[in-house]
Amino acid sequence: MKQIVSIIIMSAFIWTGCENKATSPGVTDTEILVGNIQDLSGPIKELGLLLPAGTNMYLDYINAQGGVHGRQIKMIVEDHGYNPQKAVVAAKKLVEKDQVFCLFNVVGTSPAEAIRPILEESGVPLIAPATNSSSMSDMSKQAARYIFHTDAGYDLQARVLIDYIMENNKDAVIGFAYQDDDYGANALQGCAVAEANHGITVQKESFQRGATDFMGQTMNFMKGGCTDVIIGGIVREPVTIMKTAQKIGFEPKFYGLMPTVDPRVGLLAGEVGEGFIAPYHAYHPDSDEAGPKLYQELCDKNNVPAKMRGIYHYYGFAGAHVLVEGLRRAGKNPTRERLIKGLETLKNWESGVFPPITYNRNDHAGAESLYLLQLQEGKQVGITDWRN
Amino acid sequence: MSDLLTGLLQESVSGIALGCIYALIALGFTLIYKATEVVNFAQGEIMMVGAYINFFFVTQFSAMAGELTGWVFLAALFCSIIFAVLFGIILDYVINRPMKDEPVFSIIMATISLAIILRSLTAMIAGPISLVPVSPFGDSTIKTAGIVISVLDLAIIICAVILMSLFFFFFNKTRWGIAMKATSEDSEAAQLMGIPVKQVYRIVWVFAAIVGVISGVLLAPRMALLDTTMSYLGLKAFPAAILGGFGSIPGAVAGGIILGVIETVSMGTLSFHFEWIKEINDIIVWIVLIAVLMIRPDGLFGIAKVKRV
Amino acid sequence: MKGRYEDENLNWIPLLILAVFLLPFVLKGVTFSYKYYLYILNMAGIYIILTVGLDLLSGFTGLMSLGHAAFLAIGAYTSAILVDQVGLPFELSLIITPVIVGLFGLVIGFPALRIKGIYLGLTTMGFGFIVKRLIIAFREWTGGSAGLHVSSASIFGYPIKNDWDNYFMIYTFAILAIIMTRRIIKSKLGRAFMAIRDSEQAAQASGINLAKYKLISFFISGMFAGFAGVLFAHTSHFISTDHFDITLSIFFIVMVLIGGIGSIYGAVLGTLFVVLMENMFIPLFEDALSQYVNLNAGDFQAFIFGLIMLIFIIFQPLGLYGMWLKMRIYWKIFPFNPRKRFT
Repeated sequence: MKQIVSIIIMSAFIWTGCENKATSPGVTDTEILVGNIQDLSGPIKELGLLLPAGTNMYLDYINAQGGVHGRQIKMIVEDHGYNPQKAVVAAKKLVEKDQVFCLFNVVGTSPAEAIRPILEESGVPLIAPATNSSSMSDMSKQAARYIFHTDAGYDLQARVLIDYIMENNKDAVIGFAYQDDDYGANALQGCAVAEANHGITVQKESFQRGATDFMGQTMNFMKGGCTDVIIGGIVREPVTIMKTAQKIGFEPKFYGLMPTVDPRVGLLAGEVGEGFIAPYHAYHPDSDEAGPKLYQELCDKNNVPAKMRGIYHYYGFAGAHVLVEGLRRAGKNPTRERLIKGLETLKNWESGVFPPITYNRNDHAGAESLYLLQLQEGKQVGITDWRN
Repeated sequence: MSDLLTGLLQESVSGIALGCIYALIALGFTLIYKATEVVNFAQGEIMMVGAYINFFFVTQFSAMAGELTGWVFLAALFCSIIFAVLFGIILDYVINRPMKDEPVFSIIMATISLAIILRSLTAMIAGPISLVPVSPFGDSTIKTAGIVISVLDLAIIICAVILMSLFFFFFNKTRWGIAMKATSEDSEAAQLMGIPVKQVYRIVWVFAAIVGVISGVLLAPRMALLDTTMSYLGLKAFPAAILGGFGSIPGAVAGGIILGVIETVSMGTLSFHFEWIKEINDIIVWIVLIAVLMIRPDGLFGIAKVKRV
Repeated sequence: MKGRYEDENLNWIPLLILAVFLLPFVLKGVTFSYKYYLYILNMAGIYIILTVGLDLLSGFTGLMSLGHAAFLAIGAYTSAILVDQVGLPFELSLIITPVIVGLFGLVIGFPALRIKGIYLGLTTMGFGFIVKRLIIAFREWTGGSAGLHVSSASIFGYPIKNDWDNYFMIYTFAILAIIMTRRIIKSKLGRAFMAIRDSEQAAQASGINLAKYKLISFFISGMFAGFAGVLFAHTSHFISTDHFDITLSIFFIVMVLIGGIGSIYGAVLGTLFVVLMENMFIPLFEDALSQYVNLNAGDFQAFIFGLIMLIFIIFQPLGLYGMWLKMRIYWKIFPFNPRKRFT
């Protein structure tokens, strides 16, 4: 009896104890806390190294100039290993425990989709998710008003690639290797539209996320007589498929969706990757626009090694521009709602890294057009103009 | 029709090579099980460590030599084997010393934790960027009878055959080998008969480490990219070892080859003609295994253990 | 309350139950990130329901199962399909799904009648792989690798949507699960299980029908896992096959092992230990270390986990519950402890 009473009294004390809440979660007078969930241990862990590095480079630059409205921006990175379940746990931790202001650059379609319930429940915005899936800007899905997308969808990319192939070769037999999850599903949608437009059938082979062996799929493409093969993977898949094809003496033209546009694909594939084509939606990091120039400057200043510079490092850098602009427009006393409203005022905004971006209440999509890059002697060269 | 046959033949040859690798890993399992009744769940990780170490040696030596020659690979292989011996001794210390009298189940869980440690340690040391392994035979292939065999696959098959024969000879014809078999059957009786059980354990772990490292060296060039997921192939070799019956060396070989061929053929010809097979490619080896175990609970070549009450 | 021994004091049980139910209030008062801690505790609670069932199978009947995550998966997906697609009410799913998963337990139980020892362990492992792949194959219902969004639970019209409500639901069932398994152990069923574990021949000679009891053991542990699966699906609101892999199955066995095999309280302690360590202590440790060394988060967690597991196996084979017992006996006969080191 004594024990029960003492427990009740203790709990009453603790209940009325202090609760320390900030004015808006993640915001103090000197700092804004942003959360990022990357793949640091799974199939795309190279990206987990490059993306936050690029982002931090830009954030350091902004912070050195005094930050946004006098507040320094700090980013915490959690790991989800490309496992949607772990992404949910990581998002919970960032939102509930670390009390971040918003989420940024969460990588991977399936993980980003998985955390929608948390975004909805806590009203946390997700800026520039690092996935091209157009489902990110689909306003009919749960928590869509919290997500601001900067990329062109996989469906758009698949369609543009197939259009390009058919332009150059009316008799092309096309094969498409897709990842068996949300990423692949989105790409397949674009593929279906292109099939209908051109009246062709594309040979589709699926692979599991994180698979390492593609002998079966490659041999099937060969048996199907494919002249052009599109690979809907990230880094490992195109390299492995191209090398496997070379081993069995199969030599079609190879293409990839946007995640394969990184020069590391060329680096790892070596001579087998020559001629590989992939689409891109931002200004190329080696071009002369304002953003890429700043990128080159900062890379030189921070002694970023050459093998780290590239599309993915640049991607983290570019996405950060949108985050910072949103924070600026959220005003001197930012709240999550003000961040959302601030971003929705973007109209033909020139970021220097992306073509002009417009957001409004019903449109959270970013880029609408792409251009194609080809690997020539290890360097990426633009071969077409902007198209959609 | 002959197209189909050529295709099947081509896949079978490739499958035999893959199967030899499974067989080598299964050999590692079998060696340790034969002597100590322990199932070493870390065999796949040993293979992965071997591949990484070999890669490291190759890059070091080729940097020293200035170019990539056959001697570089031989030197790297030699150093990797020496590393394997040391590695085996370390593993023996870690696993066997502290757990001398523990039930087999605990030792098995210890090997599982060892596997986790090795995998994460390698990932942390090597960094997130995948490595590109180089094959000592380049990409050269041999064409016979309409099918293409890569020289690498041929080397794998030859190596496997040599190693199997060596170990088979060892276990059946030499004193130490028979001593090891005795130890596995009853370690107390073996000790009473004068067999140095501790040394037996150590030697067997060293053998398993050597076999593991060699299989890693052979397998790495076969994969386009090298990273820690290679260790999961160790899990795939389990069915091979069990299929043949744990404790039987020819069984491990047979099991490995059968499974290698089944897997490659199902990924290729069968998937092309029957769509639904694509769904079960990864697990076909396990389905085959469970089916076989239901009929012969001790594996194809296993001998039913007589349990004394 | 009467216990097994004359002087065994069971008064602490109702107190402990009360403490469990008061914990959320304490957490809410102490920290404003209480929701996160509740989330972790919820995970632990769900896993407890599964591990006590697993302990029955592996610890008490001696049938090693390296594929138990598959049962969790079957339970989660079955409930998700039944509630979201077929339209069954949640309460009914709570009853039907465990039975379905128990039947799956029988499916793997049949091979178990013939296959023994490590072969059985590897068979269950294979079962785990097969189930995971098959779930992906039936992608129209399960969403394949992309995963499935699942609705929230609701009991008799009362919706249970956030971490707070989930906690009370989960821990009610967890406590019931613990009580149930303890009763099973103390009954004829439990004694039959332990007899089978200790010596199959002797059990048979004593008249125990091996096949019947082995199948019952698989069925019951499958049921517990299925129940856990239902709760898992409707409290995480998102399930995908990535989660239910061999690593998770190994985690479960480790939880049982670290807690002390053959002890229900041990399984509970082991589960709590592993979950809290994985989600709280290791990240804290990592934060402290990352100031000196650049670490890869996921790999480091795995490394520390493997290290702790190895240390436990080597130095404390009796597990956490064994440690607890030793401590209790120590304090009970203090200061008359024998000189020899207490092992």
